[in-house]
Amino acid sequence: MKKHYPLFLSLLFCAFLGSMAAANALTPDRAFSELENRALAQRPALSWKAVGSGEFMKDYERYITDQFAGRDGWTAAKAYLERAAGKRENNGVYFCDGSTLITRFEEPDQKRLTNNFNYVNQFVEKSPVPVTFALIPTQASIWAERLPEGAPNYDQRLVLSQAAQSSTARFVDLYDALYDHKDEAIFYRTDHHWTSLGAYYGYVGLSGALGYEPAPLEQYTKTTVSTEFYGTVFSSSGVRWVEPDEMDIYVPEEGITVTSHTYDNKGNPVEEPRELYDRSYLEKKDKYSMFLGGQQPLGVVKTGNSDKPKLLLIRDSYSDSLVPFLTPHFSEIHLIDLRYYKLSPSQYISDNGIDQALVLYSVPNFVSDSNLLWISR
Amino acid sequence: MVFSSVFFLFTYLPIVLLAYYLAPLRWRNLVLLVLNLVFYGWGEPVYIVIMFASTAIDYTHGLLVDKCKKKGNDRGARGAVCSSVVFNLALLFFFKYWNFIAGSLGVLPIIQALPLPGGGSIPFTLPIGISFYTFQTMSYTIDVYRGDARAQKSILNFGTFVTLFPQLIAGPIIKYKDLGEQIDRRDHTAERFAAGVQVFVVGMAKKVLLANNLGMLWDDAYKALPTAELTTLGAWLGILAFSFQLYFDFSGYSDMAVGLGRMLGFEFAKNFDYPYISRSLTEFWRRWHISLGSWFREYLYIPLGGNRVSRPRLLLNLLLVWAATGIWHGASWNFLLWGLYYGVLLVAEKFFLGALLERCPRWLRHLYALFFIVVGWALFAIEDFSHLGPYLAAMFGFGGKGLTDGMFFYYLRSYFPMLAVAAVASTPLAKQLWDRLGEKPRMVLLPLLLLTGLLVCTCYLVDATYNPFLYFRF
Repeated sequence: MKKHYPLFLSLLFCAFLGSMAAANALTPDRAFSELENRALAQRPALSWKAVGSGEFMKDYERYITDQFAGRDGWTAAKAYLERAAGKRENNGVYFCDGSTLITRFEEPDQKRLTNNFNYVNQFVEKSPVPVTFALIPTQASIWAERLPEGAPNYDQRLVLSQAAQSSTARFVDLYDALYDHKDEAIFYRTDHHWTSLGAYYGYVGLSGALGYEPAPLEQYTKTTVSTEFYGTVFSSSGVRWVEPDEMDIYVPEEGITVTSHTYDNKGNPVEEPRELYDRSYLEKKDKYSMFLGGQQPLGVVKTGNSDKPKLLLIRDSYSDSLVPFLTPHFSEIHLIDLRYYKLSPSQYISDNGIDQALVLYSVPNFVSDSNLLWISR
Repeated sequence: MVFSSVFFLFTYLPIVLLAYYLAPLRWRNLVLLVLNLVFYGWGEPVYIVIMFASTAIDYTHGLLVDKCKKKGNDRGARGAVCSSVVFNLALLFFFKYWNFIAGSLGVLPIIQALPLPGGGSIPFTLPIGISFYTFQTMSYTIDVYRGDARAQKSILNFGTFVTLFPQLIAGPIIKYKDLGEQIDRRDHTAERFAAGVQVFVVGMAKKVLLANNLGMLWDDAYKALPTAELTTLGAWLGILAFSFQLYFDFSGYSDMAVGLGRMLGFEFAKNFDYPYISRSLTEFWRRWHISLGSWFREYLYIPLGGNRVSRPRLLLNLLLVWAATGIWHGASWNFLLWGLYYGVLLVAEKFFLGALLERCPRWLRHLYALFFIVVGWALFAIEDFSHLGPYLAAMFGFGGKGLTDGMFFYYLRSYFPMLAVAAVASTPLAKQLWDRLGEKPRMVLLPLLLLTGLLVCTCYLVDATYNPFLYFRF
């Protein structure tokens, strides 16, 4: 044994490299990672040009790493190792008390933030109807007490007070409305959105500005639609040890029609029916898209309450779970997503007889958004 | 291509080992040459041209020196050495320093008046490893001239020396006289291969687990922090993290080079010898990046007259050597400053501080050395002077926002285990314990440790592209 020991060590090393190389060659390539929610790099095409410029090599390294055999297991193991080494975060996500994952909120780019406030003010000026502006503080702010002690995290309230000072719209600060219920499940623990319950408190907070009498919570019947929701923060954290989230809905969908307006690849307008709750998404990873069927450039929700006003909602995805609560108070709710809708929202208001407008974003989305320019058109 | 990547470990290296060991002995240098060129061209294929040019020019210069010497034509031999040094320095100057010099002197109307495209700057990226391989090839003609090595007759063998991939891009800087004979003939034994595997895995663990991890504490946290947000202890924690990052990054890479060299039958000298246990800065430089220090000693300091000169001349020589050492690390003023910082401190140690230190207790000498090493790393790490000044001030309690804050304690708690491992790994303690283990337990433990190291490193390497797309729906 002693004589052959160096040979044994050498062969052990070579066997490790060889078996990994073989496993990589033998496992089929995946197109998409559900866990990371992105398309994985594919084998790059070999050409003289790509090799000459070095592009091929760069792409090939990405490809090899993305398609590594058992990739999800390796990345999960890395997260466990980080925790074992005493870390309280992985990939910018904090491991918090109570099986909760919270994305760090970085100090916003002040120039972009100021521009975004200005765009909203320009919209207020152009809009023929009153505009309400509200920002939703998220987990990193409302649940700041759950963060590891001393964890670097910018205070979202500073953004809210900036908004209150600079906005010419009716500004609604939702901080207290949410903070008063911070011990309830108002946010998902593994996703960046608010839950239906959180959206309900948002709905209550907005009632004064939008002019409706909110229904008491007891009036609704809560229905749990999923207990296996692992959201985006779960994906980005890489951790695998947290409990899944529960998804609830409160508002019945009877009598409500949803139409999504989009364009086909020739530029012709296309109408596509949607639902307030598209349960087919519950079978997928992206369960939050159950609300209104996920992203769309323009969506119109008709409620049958023809005596009620029409609302235009300049939205991010947080609005999708808020809309069900708003349905009793409006005849129509029009949802515009500025990432895809590049026409003038003010014109849209005039053309469609809208009675009031709401600009609603979560704080992290608002400070980083690069499409608010389109609101001022 | 870097060693610490999935592609290197599980694609390139298996191909290298397979091709190399399947080839018959006399073909191995050729196989290695081709693989070296693939390695070098992987990042920037056009720069393979530099490899060819370097090989051809230094090869002919070597033969020329040899021929002149044999004829007793010392002037001719000197001329050839000179010409090859000029070529190598020109290569280094052109790619590495031109933009820095043009930028620094750009205010001078002379450069502006010249009809140079792009305001006189060179639009190329720095060829990877150029500081290392130009120094290696320079050593060749000098060694041949000094009679320390024989001129290489085979251009293929010489090309293998110039392009040898294990130490091509990050050292150690191997002098031709130490490698020449191994290029011509070397043994491939299982003992050497197994020893190489061990050093390689240790080096990879140093780089991937310690350096990259502690690097986050520096790069993402303290280096990125606005200086007004710094606290005194926070600034020290940050620069301490950088000190470990740099050491484990660099020495880990050197270890991997030594290990890969052994797997291919080469024996390189070690490049680091526990530098952080030094008790003086003179000792530190005997332990830190040994191959660079010895290069400058043999090919610059001694030719300048070494220490057999007058005191003022010695002073000048030392400052010159340390300015060169500093600027070798990067084309930026802070590296020059860092080099001169050591120049001044080492002169002080040579003339009076050294004797004084001899009479101090050991712990004080350690403290002294570590203090100046760590402060030196601040000069090294922060290129922007407008950031460097406030950072240093914060370290000594000026500016910033007090002694500690919540963030400091958060990072201290998060990184304490890693810092503790790094501190122990900076000393020979683990090696001493390992040597004291009996042979039996060592034989059982070794394969387990190797496999664990490989598996854990693989987790981190695969995670390198873990980049979930978050804002797919806001």
